[in-house]
Amino acid sequence: MAFLEINNVSKIFGQAVAVNDFNLQIERGELVSFLGPSGCGKTTTLRMVAGFEIPTSGRIVVNGEDITEKAPNQRDVGMVFQAYALFPNMTVADNIGFGLMIARKPAADRKKRVAEMLDIIHMADFGARFPYQLSGGQQQRVALARALALSPQVLLLDEPLSALDAKIRVSLRAEIRSIQRKLGITAIYVTHDQEEALSLSDRVVVMNGGRMEQVGTPFEIYNFPKTEFVAQFVGQLNSVKAEVVDPASNRLKMDGQQVQTAESLLSYHAGDQVVVAIRPERLSFTTEGVKPNVLDCSIENITFLGSVVRVTVKVGQFNLFMDTFNNPFLELPKIGDKAQVTCSREAVLVVK
Amino acid sequence: MKRRGKIWAWFFIILGILYFFLPLLATFLFSLRAKLGVLSFQAYANVFSDPKFIRNFSASLLWATLTIVVGVLLFVPTAYWVRLKVPQFRVAVEFITLIPFVVPAIVYVFGLVRTYSHPPLLIVDSPALLVAAYTILSMPYLYRAIDIGLRSIDVRTLTEAAQSLGAGWGTILFRIIIPNIRVAILNGAFLSFAIVMGEYILAQYLAKPAFAPYMAVLIQNRAYEPAALAVISFALTWACMGLISLVGRGQQTQIAGGH
Repeated sequence: MAFLEINNVSKIFGQAVAVNDFNLQIERGELVSFLGPSGCGKTTTLRMVAGFEIPTSGRIVVNGEDITEKAPNQRDVGMVFQAYALFPNMTVADNIGFGLMIARKPAADRKKRVAEMLDIIHMADFGARFPYQLSGGQQQRVALARALALSPQVLLLDEPLSALDAKIRVSLRAEIRSIQRKLGITAIYVTHDQEEALSLSDRVVVMNGGRMEQVGTPFEIYNFPKTEFVAQFVGQLNSVKAEVVDPASNRLKMDGQQVQTAESLLSYHAGDQVVVAIRPERLSFTTEGVKPNVLDCSIENITFLGSVVRVTVKVGQFNLFMDTFNNPFLELPKIGDKAQVTCSREAVLVVK
Repeated sequence: MKRRGKIWAWFFIILGILYFFLPLLATFLFSLRAKLGVLSFQAYANVFSDPKFIRNFSASLLWATLTIVVGVLLFVPTAYWVRLKVPQFRVAVEFITLIPFVVPAIVYVFGLVRTYSHPPLLIVDSPALLVAAYTILSMPYLYRAIDIGLRSIDVRTLTEAAQSLGAGWGTILFRIIIPNIRVAILNGAFLSFAIVMGEYILAQYLAKPAFAPYMAVLIQNRAYEPAALAVISFALTWACMGLISLVGRGQQTQIAGGH
C-alpha cells in the first residue's frame, strides 16, 4: 500500500468536470509534480488532498487513513501557496510558529523548532521581520518553513514559484528539492512550468482536461511521451503527420521521404495516418546520402538561443526544428542551403 | 491662464472654509459670552458641572461603546463569511446595509415601538433595544468599512493557509482576519461612535438618556450652554475623524510592499 493514495477521484462543479477519475499512488518521501495547462484540474486535485474541496467521488488515503471527508485543519497536510499567504500581522518567527502554537506545543519547543526552520531556509536573522520587509523569494521560503514546521505527513505546493522572477525560481526550486529530500517528506508540486516539473520531481503526472495523460519519471515523460498532448506540452517538439508504409519493418513516410521507428507498428496497417514526434535535439546534419531517417531539406532559418542554436529546416511541405549546442567553432549552413538531417530510429516516436 | 485658474481655486477654497467655519466660529464666540461684558468659558463650566450632562453624556458613551462591540461581533463574521463562502450574495448584502440611509429614523423608531411594545416581545424599555437599533443605524458605516478592509487582504488564501496549519474558525477570525483589518474596523468604529453620540430620534422616542436629547432640552431653557454643547459635539466628531486619519496612516506604513 502506497503512503498517499488518490483512488478514482473525480470533482464536478455544476456541469463542469474539473477532475475525472484520477488515480495515483505516491510512496513515502516521493515528490510528484502535477503538470498541465491552466484549467487541467491539477490545482483542484491538490485542493482535494488539502481538504479545501471535497471529491464528488473517490477516496484519498494517507498512511492508511481515509481523509476524504476530513476538515483541512484535521489532515496533517502542509501547504505552500502561490501568493505566499504569510500572515501580514505576524513576524517571520510568529508565522513559522503559528501551526505549533495551534498544536499547543510548549513555548520552548516552539522557539527551538522555529530557529531550526529559520536555519533550514537560511534566514536565521530574519525572525523579527514582518512579511512586508521581505522579498518575494524570502517570503516564499518563510511560507515553506511555516508549512514544514509541524512536520506534516504530506507537503503540498501550489505553483509556489510562479510569482517570482526567473533567476530566483531556479535557485529556489533547487532549495525546495534539497529541503524535501533532507526531511524525507512526501510532496505534491503543482506547476504549469515543464522545466520546473522535470527538474525537481521523482515522477510527473501530466494532466489535460481533468484527466491524467501520463505518469512517469521526468526521463520517461520527456523521452517517451505516450500521447500527442504530452509530446507537445513537455519540451519542444516536431510533430508531423506521417503514413504507415510497412508495419512489419516499422517504416513510415513523411511527405514522400521514408523514416523508420524503433516502435512496433504491428497494430497499424499500411496506409494508416499517424503523428510522428521528433525532439529537436535528436536531429543532426549528415552527409550519408539516401538512407532511412536521412531527410533532404533546405535551411529556412537559424536562431541563436545562447547555449543552443536552433535551425529550422524545410523537409518537403513541413518544417522541422533542429537544436544543436552552441560552439564558437560551429560551422553552420546558410539560409537557403540544401542539406540533409538525420535521427536515430529511437528518436522517431509514434504518438496517439 | 494657469495663474487665473489658481486664483479661482483659492477663491473657492476660501469660500468653502468661510461657509463651514463662520457659523462654527460664531457659535463658539457666542458660547463665550455667558458672562456679561467679558469672554469666558462660563457656559462650558456650567455644562460640565451639570449632573444631567454627566449622566446623559456617559449614557451616550456607553451606547456608542456597546454599539461598536455588538456591531463588530456581528458584522466582521458576516462580511468575512459572505466574502469567503457566498460571494454571489455580496451585492444583496451591500444593499441591505444601505437600508438605514433610506429609511428615516423616525419611521424606523415607530416600527420598533410598534413591534416591541406588546407581548411576547415586550422589550421596548430595554436598553438592549436601543443598542440593537444603533447597531442597525451604524451598519452602513461599520459594515462597509469592514468589507473594504477585507477587500485589502487575500481572505481566501489566508484562511486556507491558517486551516492547513490546523487553525479553526475562531482562531482564523480573531488571530488572522481581525488583526489584519483592525484599521478598517477602527475607522468604522469611530464613525459609528460619532453617529451614536449625536443621535437624537432613537434615544428620544425610546426614552433613554443620551447626549442629543439633553442638548435639545437645554436649547429650550438656556442660551449659551447649548452653543457650548454644539462646540463640544463638533470637537468630539473631529477627534474621531483625526483618529481615523491617524490610524489610517499607520496602516499604510504596514501594508507597504506587503502585497
